[in-house]
Amino acid sequence: MLPPDKNDPRTGTLIETHKRHDWRIVSFYPIVAVLLLVIAAGFAYQQLFKTGEYTESEVQQSQRRILTPGPRGEIYDREGRLLVGNLARYAVTINLDELRSEFRRTYLITRRKWREADDKNIPTSAELWRIARGAVMQNYLDQVNEIIGRDEKINDIRFRRHFNQQLLIPYTLIEDLTPEEYARLVEQLPVNSPLRLTATSTRYYPYGNTAAHVLGYIRSSDDLDAEGFPGENLTTFKMRGTTGKDGLELTFNEHLQGKPGYTIYRVDPAGYRIEPPLERSPALRGKRLNISLDIDMQQVAEEKMGDVEKKDGYRGAVVALDAQTGETLVLASNPGFNPNDFFPRLSQENYDRMNTLRAWSNLAIAGRMEPGSTFKIIDAIAGFRANVLHPESVYYCGGTLRVGNRNFACHDGHVHGDISFHDAIAKSCNIFFYRESLDLGAQPIADEARRFGLDRATGIELPGEIKGNITDPIMRRARGGIWAGGDTVTLAIGQNETVVTPLEMACFIASVGRDETRTSPTILHDPNRRPLHTEPIGLTPVQRRALVEAMRETIKTGTARILTNPRMRDLNLGYLDIAGKTGTAQKEVWEDGKRGIINYAWFVGFAPASDPRIAIAVVLEGDVPGEEVGGGAIAAPIGGYVLKKYFEKHPEQIPAPPAQPAM
Amino acid sequence: MQLKRLVLAKPFLTLAICIAAWMVLPFVIKRAARLTFFEFQAPIDVSAATIRNLQDYWAMRTRDPNELIEAGKEIARLNSFYENKIRETKTLEAEVARLEELLRLPVFNTYRAEPARVVRRDYNAWWQRITIRTGRTRGITVGAPVIFVGGVIGRVSEVGLYTSVVDLISSPGVRLSAVIETDGDHRPVNFQGRSSAAFSNATGTLEFVPFDIYIPPGETVRVVTSGLGGVFPPGLSLGVIKKLEPGADGLFQSAEVSLDPRLSAITEVTVLVPLNPPEPPKGAAQ
Repeated sequence: MLPPDKNDPRTGTLIETHKRHDWRIVSFYPIVAVLLLVIAAGFAYQQLFKTGEYTESEVQQSQRRILTPGPRGEIYDREGRLLVGNLARYAVTINLDELRSEFRRTYLITRRKWREADDKNIPTSAELWRIARGAVMQNYLDQVNEIIGRDEKINDIRFRRHFNQQLLIPYTLIEDLTPEEYARLVEQLPVNSPLRLTATSTRYYPYGNTAAHVLGYIRSSDDLDAEGFPGENLTTFKMRGTTGKDGLELTFNEHLQGKPGYTIYRVDPAGYRIEPPLERSPALRGKRLNISLDIDMQQVAEEKMGDVEKKDGYRGAVVALDAQTGETLVLASNPGFNPNDFFPRLSQENYDRMNTLRAWSNLAIAGRMEPGSTFKIIDAIAGFRANVLHPESVYYCGGTLRVGNRNFACHDGHVHGDISFHDAIAKSCNIFFYRESLDLGAQPIADEARRFGLDRATGIELPGEIKGNITDPIMRRARGGIWAGGDTVTLAIGQNETVVTPLEMACFIASVGRDETRTSPTILHDPNRRPLHTEPIGLTPVQRRALVEAMRETIKTGTARILTNPRMRDLNLGYLDIAGKTGTAQKEVWEDGKRGIINYAWFVGFAPASDPRIAIAVVLEGDVPGEEVGGGAIAAPIGGYVLKKYFEKHPEQIPAPPAQPAM
Repeated sequence: MQLKRLVLAKPFLTLAICIAAWMVLPFVIKRAARLTFFEFQAPIDVSAATIRNLQDYWAMRTRDPNELIEAGKEIARLNSFYENKIRETKTLEAEVARLEELLRLPVFNTYRAEPARVVRRDYNAWWQRITIRTGRTRGITVGAPVIFVGGVIGRVSEVGLYTSVVDLISSPGVRLSAVIETDGDHRPVNFQGRSSAAFSNATGTLEFVPFDIYIPPGETVRVVTSGLGGVFPPGLSLGVIKKLEPGADGLFQSAEVSLDPRLSAITEVTVLVPLNPPEPPKGAAQ
């Protein structure tokens, strides 16, 4: 072996030696140091300055928030009876995160079977996962089916959507279990099964159609108010809640709506949740609502209107108020609907039926109708106050009265001859009030109606209230129209563009009962509510007595005498002291290009006449042009039944019969 | 040195081999082994119970004869009382059957009563169960309801040839459908046993109680079986509740059910063997 050549740069050894301070190497030191510093600075920057951002990002990726709606509060009537409650709705659900291993196992088995079958059309991995998950779910559903005897199938589309979008929320296998089915599952499903028995609540209206327009209805909603809840930036899953859509459910939606609860979970990379939750706050129940309706009276009103509707097809409304406080005892509108039909969704059949019957509208607050002869009370008050009318006033009724170039007939074409104020009210003589209105003028009558608030919404706590309309010469002329004598007399009998709602009329008659001008109605019940005190009407005691006596006579011998007819066993209210007035208004309608007249039948009254406790307004709308719908014959009996029910419940308010003179 | 290490590791190796062998054993063999163990264990439990009974018997024999005579008389009186009650019950049953026939009411799931002595109690924080001296030979089936003088005691969870294991209603593994006696609508609620602290009374949990059910302060209300679940007949007492509290979900109320204190000292039970096994309701699917 030759000795190494010292001049040969290839030394042949494995060890290279360099000079200690080779400038080429030294120059790398600062470069490496700078690079290391840059890396360290980068790490420090990420660690120290971007910690918050990364933490937030990590939280967003690994945490999910679930919002659960709170149950709505109940609604009770004035006697504490449940009008709207929550009914248990039993469901069987399954937590998908508990099935992860089962999904995986089934996926592997499925894939193996496909491979063993040597099928060239083997599904893709995603399809195999879908098949496996579907099979597992159906297997659990079959367990449930076997116990309760159903034959339910997994809805593949719905399940896939749930899996992809709402993995954290338990999947509902069956949501409409009957109590019996629920009980069977409670006893026969193993406690440690991934199947969970849950109970949610659904809105329940125990009285069905009764007071439906007042109570309203709800619809499903995803709009949960999560304001102030932690985890605002987290991906949030919302369980479906409900929201009020009409009636009290809408007006008091915030009051009734409970506070949603939330749960924050940590999730794994696949999106399955990891128990236990990081944070949780239970949903809170909504507040209860006590309303002033008396459900017994409401039922009577709706039942009697329903009878009329079945027999004659008339729509209508009944409003009864506590005459002293303005609390609404009855607020009925017919035809109605069953709020239970609205949840989870209204069927097409029910929707069509409601449209056909025009059942959506609450006639009690949104029905604008001509008041007819009930408006004569306004005429009388206006006349008394203007000193044009006196309790002893007499006008001649010849059956018709020519005003301008038109003849105006009396009520039902009667010829009353010389008729007093007392009889004119009781018998509803039109000619008397035509003459009186011509003496008085239209403006004072319209002003008086406005003083009672008949042209304003009452402000009751219900949605959709419409205000009435009072026409007068000033308004007509302001619009460029002409006011003729014929307009005055039609105004006097509650026609001629004058429209009011049944609620306005009930408030008006309650005010008359108290000898005041305004009644603010409320649907809320307060046992300590103070009696209303508003501006007095301003009648002298003699005028007041004359008006009330005439209204009493209406019930005894006048147009509403059906209420004291001894032959009406069911409805002989002679023992009550009622003051009332009937009315029959006409409205022009056009049907198939033909002009027709339909009637509105009215009854308004208060009782006891001497110290009113209840005021009532009833109206029915005829459905066939030309058909006579009389207030005394049809509306008064409905009012009578409601009054009868009221005094059955408050016998202490029935006035004592006058003492018989000693023989 | 290596040999010594191997000798020292021998028990661990054996254990590991046994575990590995158990893991690869077919399921059928595992199940058979478990059942055999249960069947072999059963005579030991029965013998222990018999010995305990003998101890009690001899302990009684040491008492004063007059005391025993008095006790015998008391038993005779009780027997006579129960004989009368049995006769009364039979008359009432006949009357109920007659009225059911007359009104064409559906016949409830009927049961055969199978009395049994308790041979072993097993209480701990996680489950509470008893072993009773009756089994497959007497027609006992898994899931059969078990009752005692105070109402429901639990349900059969395992059945051997001559013994059965009963999960008590105080066990979290037992769930059944109950009703609150004052609820006129008889709405089913969820009853489940609850782990209780040592030496405290057995309790259960009632869930999904509707909010309109109210218990006046100071009153106690009985909770009974609903009879809707297809396992337990209706009206059997589960316990009492004193107050209802809003549930965690805000939707329903929940309550703690105080179970019968005699549950922990029970010596004899009755298994209700269903004559017609529960079937799913026909035509329930809508």
